[in-house]
Amino acid sequence: MTRRRIALLLTALIAASGVIPVLLLAIFGLRILGDRGERASQEALEAIAAQAAARIATYIAQQREMLRAIGTAVADESDAVRRLADIALDAPSLGKLRLLSADTPQREVPRMLDRDRIAAALRGTEVASETYIAELSPAMDVCVPSGKPGRAVCATLDLLELQRQVQRIRVGEQGYALAFDRSGHLVAAGSGSMRAAVLSGEPVAESPFASALVKGTPAPARLRNGEGRDLIAGWASLPDLGWSIAVEQPADEALRGARTALHFLAFGAALTLLISIAVGYMLARRMLTALELEERFKTAGRIAVGVTHDLGHRLIVLQQIEQLAAMNDADYLPRIRESIGAEVGTLRRFVSDFSDLTREAKPAEFLPIELNAFAESVRAGGQGYAKEANIGIDVQRAPSDLWVRGDRYLLERAALNLMRNAIEASEPGSAVRLRVGRAEHDALFTVEDQGGGIAPERIATLFDSFSSTKRTGAHVGMGLPNVRRIVAAHGGRITVKSIPGNGSTFTLSLPLSGDQSSSPSAPATMP
Amino acid sequence: MYRLLLFSIILGCTSPPSREAFVVKLAMWGPLGELAPTGNETALASIAQPWVYERLVTIDAAGELRPSLAASVDRLSNKELRVEVRRDATFSDGTPVTDVDVIQSLEPAGLRAIKSDGALLIESRQEGLPADALLLNALIFRRVQDKFLGTGPFAVASQTPTELRLARRIPAAGRINDVRIIAYDTPRDAFAHTLKGDTNLIVDVESRWLEFFRGVPSLQIIRGTGRSTDSILFNPELPRSERLQLERILGSQRVRDLAYDGGECAEGSGGDEPGPPAGRPLRVVSWGPFERLALASRRVLADRAGEVSQLVPEEAVSRVRNRDFDLVTARPLRWPPSALALVWRTGAPYNLIGYSNPAVDRAVDAGDWRAAHAALRQDPPGAFVCTREQIAVVDVRIVNPRLGPYEALETLPEWEIVR
Repeated sequence: MTRRRIALLLTALIAASGVIPVLLLAIFGLRILGDRGERASQEALEAIAAQAAARIATYIAQQREMLRAIGTAVADESDAVRRLADIALDAPSLGKLRLLSADTPQREVPRMLDRDRIAAALRGTEVASETYIAELSPAMDVCVPSGKPGRAVCATLDLLELQRQVQRIRVGEQGYALAFDRSGHLVAAGSGSMRAAVLSGEPVAESPFASALVKGTPAPARLRNGEGRDLIAGWASLPDLGWSIAVEQPADEALRGARTALHFLAFGAALTLLISIAVGYMLARRMLTALELEERFKTAGRIAVGVTHDLGHRLIVLQQIEQLAAMNDADYLPRIRESIGAEVGTLRRFVSDFSDLTREAKPAEFLPIELNAFAESVRAGGQGYAKEANIGIDVQRAPSDLWVRGDRYLLERAALNLMRNAIEASEPGSAVRLRVGRAEHDALFTVEDQGGGIAPERIATLFDSFSSTKRTGAHVGMGLPNVRRIVAAHGGRITVKSIPGNGSTFTLSLPLSGDQSSSPSAPATMP
Repeated sequence: MYRLLLFSIILGCTSPPSREAFVVKLAMWGPLGELAPTGNETALASIAQPWVYERLVTIDAAGELRPSLAASVDRLSNKELRVEVRRDATFSDGTPVTDVDVIQSLEPAGLRAIKSDGALLIESRQEGLPADALLLNALIFRRVQDKFLGTGPFAVASQTPTELRLARRIPAAGRINDVRIIAYDTPRDAFAHTLKGDTNLIVDVESRWLEFFRGVPSLQIIRGTGRSTDSILFNPELPRSERLQLERILGSQRVRDLAYDGGECAEGSGGDEPGPPAGRPLRVVSWGPFERLALASRRVLADRAGEVSQLVPEEAVSRVRNRDFDLVTARPLRWPPSALALVWRTGAPYNLIGYSNPAVDRAVDAGDWRAAHAALRQDPPGAFVCTREQIAVVDVRIVNPRLGPYEALETLPEWEIVR
């Protein structure tokens, strides 16, 4: 895993641990905020509707009170008819003020009051009609006692002022009020597009709720209007008048505040996440750099220990050879030559091990390799060393060709390393077996020896750097770690099985290349 | 590549999606009547007269005559005008306008025209009525069988008892090319259909009802100066001194406040007077929309206040013709200045109360409108209380709607629509 990937992983962990609580808080907070915002909007609209209803009730009560006062003051006068007509100038909302008696022609009788009500009015009872649309504005016919039996004062209340009041109610930019009569007909509409229904008497989407509200059925606080728009509504009713008032506001506008807070919170959460990621990434990188530096120092120390140990050993041998040579005894010359040759070979392998460490596998440059041929090539490469040690090498081929892709040099270095270890671990006269096989999508290259095996406690650290126990002077402990590095760079892995006294088996698993049937164009064996 | 080229060619050859043509639908209430250039001014359809029939002259906002179907107009005297007719003018059937057409068209308007050196000499046939006042009412037409052809930008496309359709003779981009006048039974229906969007133009809207249209996104409110003034006219038999006192008290701000809540009047005459002159009670005849004005006048008359009779128009006219009144509510023309001749000159067609003032007659005959107004003030026929502005509600897609100085919708052919 690269340092960058480790840094990203660490960053993600830091971010997740820091931001998830923030996100959870934001989600629940927003939900609560949204619910409270809707509730608050609805309460505000209800309050406006209640205020409007109260104003309407007061206005109607004032008009009727004024009519009562006029009735009492004027009806008994001899010029009552003229005075009533004259009063229209001062009370324009009291239209068609007239005296009503049993002799009043039918055309003069308030048209929305039936016979029973007229009779009641003449008996001295105050009567009023339902509201209706007269000409262009809502109206109500009212008759009040005149103080004289058989006479009443009647007027048609012009409720245009109420219509104006309702139409002038504005909530936010798009909120408006509606007023309905007892049957759900719209009598005033703040929404311009709904005003036609005031004059035409056509029901609107809210009409059923309005008429139900007057009968005591609560009206919905969230509804859709005739245009399908989502609305929040506050309702109030005037049971005496039979009117209901709805104050509506499009939900998107009413909840704009909550939405703005939501956006701020979402932005804050995102910003926190970004900051966490940036800070986490920066800290992770810094930490990894420090760790790497420390590791490098440790590695350098281990290398220094290994190199000092091995080169010190070689130095002692070379000092002994030097002392032997200083004797100028020709009899020692063959031994001196042999010893120097051995030391040169040891130092060459030493250099070679380090050299392998510097070569990186590059997947883009991988070539096809057939493992049966590869095994034969490895055997040929180790044949000389095995012969010196009097160890045989057997190759057990797979039944068919097995192709992998890889860096042939590095893979052979890895295989030769394993084979050399196996030879060194084997008793003279025994054999090392190279076996090629297949397991599902992997090709297997196995190196088996019949040596003394590896102690179980040693297995766990077998692939750690500079951990070789074969301190013979020719091993710096980089062989197996390098093998593992090479195999990992090929997308494979190395496993080991060892039973003390029964030898060891090292297996390289390498991914098979895609097409096993076609022959590669590149050569399969080392030159 | 080939397919792309083919697709491009097909796309290029496909006609663009058609857009619905903009139609002005004018909501009115009452019987639609027939559209004719003469004798049918009370029909609703007459509102289309200035779009279908042209006048030789029109009038600008300053009250000056401007050639319309005429190429030039010269005032030879107050009674005689010299007019050259535009030679490129044609009727809606494509035939050119001749001097004979013009002469025949002017005759019903009380004008006589004779040819003279390639022009027409036009004079009033009615004693005392100036030619230019009559000329403003004269529409040029040609009668073909039972139809009247006009030279205006529009022609009648079809008509039913409740709808008159007019189409622009030569469609113009960015202008109104189709107009429909739809007659409803009541103002309530007309308002409801306008609010609903079935119609998009309504005129003669009282300010009291403007509340309905405020905040309606598809409509705009336009205003224009009114031509008529709500007035209280006097019985000419009342003494001049009394009429002068009445003019001051009835034309006062107090009457305007009582009758109109004070805020709707562009102008009025008179001033404050401590009280009415002593005398018998004055009977007020009223009709139609003037009930409050009549009551207000009775209120300020205090001790002289008499009976207020709110009558149907026919009864009111009958009472006035019989001089059976002291005061009568009315809405006489106040503009253009020459209208004064039609209303206040002795024997003028709109002089319903029979007002006669030699000084006014002399000034009218001389074409001196300023002097005529001064003479009216010296011997007032009534108190001019309130000139109310004209109000219309129109589709917001019309960018420059304005009401004409002479007739409310005379400028409609010039209105532009949003492209």
